[in-house]
Amino acid sequence: MAKGGPVRFLRHPVVQYVAAGALMLVAIAAATAWLSGRAATNQARSEARRSTELLAQSVVEPAVPRKLMRVDVGAVDRLDRAIRDTLALADVARVKIWRRDGTIVYSDQSELIGQRFSLGEEEVRVLEGAPTEAEVSDLGKPENQLERTSGGLLEVYTRITTPEGDPLLFEAYYPLDRLDVRRSAYLRAFRPITLGGLLLFLVATTPLLALLTRRLEAAAAEREQLLVRASGASEAERRRIARDLHDGVVQDLAATAFGLSAAAREKDVPPQLTERLQGFSASLRSSLRGLRSLLVEIHPPDLQATGLVAALEDLVAPAEARGVEATVSVTGAELLDERGTALVWRVAQESVRNSLRHASAEHLWVTLSPQPAGVVLEVRDDGDGFDPDATTSPEHFGLRGLASLATDNGGRLDVESRPGAGTTIRLEVPAR
Amino acid sequence: MKLRRTLAVAAVGGLLAVPVAAAPANASHGSDDRVTRTGSCSGSADWKLKVKSDDGRLEVEGEVDSNKNGQVWRWRIRHNGALSAKGTKTTQPPSGSFSVERKIVDLAGTDHVVFRARHVGSGQVCRGVINFG
Repeated sequence: MAKGGPVRFLRHPVVQYVAAGALMLVAIAAATAWLSGRAATNQARSEARRSTELLAQSVVEPAVPRKLMRVDVGAVDRLDRAIRDTLALADVARVKIWRRDGTIVYSDQSELIGQRFSLGEEEVRVLEGAPTEAEVSDLGKPENQLERTSGGLLEVYTRITTPEGDPLLFEAYYPLDRLDVRRSAYLRAFRPITLGGLLLFLVATTPLLALLTRRLEAAAAEREQLLVRASGASEAERRRIARDLHDGVVQDLAATAFGLSAAAREKDVPPQLTERLQGFSASLRSSLRGLRSLLVEIHPPDLQATGLVAALEDLVAPAEARGVEATVSVTGAELLDERGTALVWRVAQESVRNSLRHASAEHLWVTLSPQPAGVVLEVRDDGDGFDPDATTSPEHFGLRGLASLATDNGGRLDVESRPGAGTTIRLEVPAR
Repeated sequence: MKLRRTLAVAAVGGLLAVPVAAAPANASHGSDDRVTRTGSCSGSADWKLKVKSDDGRLEVEGEVDSNKNGQVWRWRIRHNGALSAKGTKTTQPPSGSFSVERKIVDLAGTDHVVFRARHVGSGQVCRGVINFG
């Protein structure tokens, strides 16, 4: 048919099902990764908040000495000695303790001690009593200029109190690399459930779909064969009827017409009767011509004898009455054997009929020509065209039957058509 | 480590600020980030003060050698004038000495470190100063 191998492959139901399944797998993988990442981030933030609160309440706040608010160096030393080893164990990348005015009163990065930066709104809120907050650090901020991490930091801040009762903001920074580890862990946990389940479903259902498709294709092939056989039986029946009519009724009518003409010419027949007999004879001859045309329509009596050219011209004769300009061009007919000639006639007959009945064409071209691959019949029109993939039209089954017939006879039938672009039916028949 | 640390020296001001010391202190520093000063206390004891960089902090080590076991000394470490650490130590055999070691933060600029020890019984005072950085 009109499409090539790759197109047919892509339109196969099993291929489309597997492709849709693969797309779904990719979509679910992406969604799972996103959800895992979000869950991991939330979980990591939550854990970081808990860790920071625990660190602040159980380690840092009890160790805060007096005078830290004033950035007393001795107080800074004492706090540093008290908490530094614990911070290292807690996997904290950086610690800062802020005063309300934005002064860093302590940091494990000693260069920051005593420096002053502006606090964000959320940090101020936490300092004033809001719950612990966690967010990804903006490493572009001035207070983070000394950070050398490549993977980013998660910063968590909570409130602590000095022995004098003043509030301080304790801020702990954690490497974001931990998020990736956690995200991978979540992904590993979800993947077998989501992707594995869908993959198993695909693996289980694809063979079933393939089986159903094979059954449908077998049923379609069987129906084609039935059509071909029905067509063959119809051809044989037409041939028998045509032969019977030709050998019986046509001969009898011809003899009767001849007898009437002869009787009319006899001298003892009254002139009035002669005229009537000649009228009967003319009427009989007219009926005989009509009957012979009908016989040609039913079955060409002998394509080899009468010639394919004349038969094809007879075939397109009704086109004129329908307002279609038909052109017949035949070369290389002598290269066809009897089977090839019959096949050409059968395909031309079906194609011309379809065109005249359905195409609403202005032109119809029937061309037979020798080609390197054999003899090629091309029936082309500039009519409405149709979708060769549509399986609902009756012509489709007729064309598929012809295609099978062509294949059975060593030929090949191609249909090129699309809505609004006319139709070309091309038959390749091996030369004898 | 800051390069300037390798050029750290004990400040002259440290010497001038030891009114009770009987003899001038001696300073030395090696090729790494370390400064050592030694000197005599107001009595017969000697003191030694070391400051060195250690993993982003300064390690301060003060030592008093009186050659007498069992003496009780009160000691203090001041950092930029603020009290960083203090305590009481007893001289131990065989040398009749004691030493204390504390880490302090390495602040921007020069760190002024003072080690002071006073013998509870006699009032003898030892005082060493290092300006590090």
